[in-house]
Amino acid sequence: MDIGIGLWCLQSTATSPRSFGQAYQDLISDAQLAEANGIHSLWLSEHHGYYDGYCPALMPAAGAALAATEDIQIGTGVLLLPLHEPQRVANAANLLNEQSPNRFHLGLGMGYRPIEFEIKQQNISQRLQLMNAGLDALKSQTQTPTWVGISSEKAAERAGRRGLGLFISGAFSKEVVNTLIQAHRAAWEKSDPSEDSPPPVGLLRNLWIVDSEKERRQALDWVRSSYLVYAGLGWGADNTGVDFVSQIETSMDEVEKSATVGSAEQIAEELDGYDVDLVVCRIGYDQPPRAALTEVIERIGRELTPLFDNPGGKQ
Amino acid sequence: MRLLLDLRNTENPSERQQLAREADEYGIWGVVVTGPQGAECVEASAIATATSHVVVVVDIDGRDVHPTTLAEEISVLDQIAQRRTMVIFRGPLSSRKTISTLLNGLPFEGFILSPPPAQASIPVHSPEQIPQVDLPENPAEAAAVIDRHRDAPEAFLIVSPNNSIKELARHSVGRAASTDFPQMVADMADQIDPINH
Repeated sequence: MDIGIGLWCLQSTATSPRSFGQAYQDLISDAQLAEANGIHSLWLSEHHGYYDGYCPALMPAAGAALAATEDIQIGTGVLLLPLHEPQRVANAANLLNEQSPNRFHLGLGMGYRPIEFEIKQQNISQRLQLMNAGLDALKSQTQTPTWVGISSEKAAERAGRRGLGLFISGAFSKEVVNTLIQAHRAAWEKSDPSEDSPPPVGLLRNLWIVDSEKERRQALDWVRSSYLVYAGLGWGADNTGVDFVSQIETSMDEVEKSATVGSAEQIAEELDGYDVDLVVCRIGYDQPPRAALTEVIERIGRELTPLFDNPGGKQ
Repeated sequence: MRLLLDLRNTENPSERQQLAREADEYGIWGVVVTGPQGAECVEASAIATATSHVVVVVDIDGRDVHPTTLAEEISVLDQIAQRRTMVIFRGPLSSRKTISTLLNGLPFEGFILSPPPAQASIPVHSPEQIPQVDLPENPAEAAAVIDRHRDAPEAFLIVSPNNSIKELARHSVGRAASTDFPQMVADMADQIDPINH
């Protein structure tokens, strides 16, 4: 199992304001720090037209992180495909692969915020069709490892049928995650695949390494507060199945419950129950002080990654 | 007049980065980069990350793409480049106007860029606004080309790399910037500190 870190969103939030220039410089230094500590990958995230500058253009950001490093993999987790022209995405991915061979991963999602579809003059009710058409177009235009961000069994099946990797959201329970993985694998097997092994599965997990109960409580508070960002993003988002405003406390409780906070050994034991190829440790919250973030990057690399350092096996 | 080193026809990515680093080191004002459609800002981002001072001029094909997507890419690039971005835009005039408005920090039809550009305003030029030349290898002929464009007057001139970047910097940057460039000093510098090709 590979261990990555995410999600770098390059924001300046109301809770933790900073300069955007600093955010982009931090991306580069964080990628270098992660690389120096043996972390497999760093993943970026996208939204459009949000007040806090949530990164709307992941390919240039990935280009910067790749240019500043030599080994670490950089991924989009996820790029909202219906809001982009697939040929342009393929061209950008291919150039990243040319500049930094075998180090770029293309994670793709559908998007859910109506305002983002309005900005790009797309109909949100067409997002599934746009996503499928985009995936078809990309398949013939790029060899970049491609992952699909999903939140339902149907979506997992669609990715499996296409032979694409899965990128599973951080807030699901182990039971739901395993159901999604099973659906993905079954669909892949039914598709009469030419490959010997199934497409990879990546799992985003809210996670923090701590040494004491006090640190644990602090980390959980950071995880909870991170949900404020999503509540803000969901403000005005209809038909997502989530009432972001009225359910904020409930949602924060659920996110806290799904978080894995403890020693590296405790976290490894928890993660061992997942049949996945990649875990992206979600540590890119906006509240932790810079020193806490860099410390946890170092600890993930030095303490957690070696516990999964078994080429060919999952742990 | 400011010189822009043309890297658009340099095929090897590591050679582009090396030339950009030299331009950065020797004080060339800008480098012009591009890429396949949709990858222009990816290339510019890699060049910006490899350099510290040189302006990164990104030549963009703006056809068949939503203008807000381009503006977002350029704005993110400007954050990465720390205010060193300039744009050559090829595409419909309506798209160019939209992009220019957004890159000026102004809203367009209710949408405003977030993050905004790092600069107060990112310059957007059409290809016709910036002449480009292959500088002759003969120094006197190259000087005459520079003088002619400087006195036109042009704000920018795109030049292809022919000799070394240090030679371009020594003989052409000051000449492009000033009508009283002391050529004798550059010639004597060649004696004191010869440039190996």
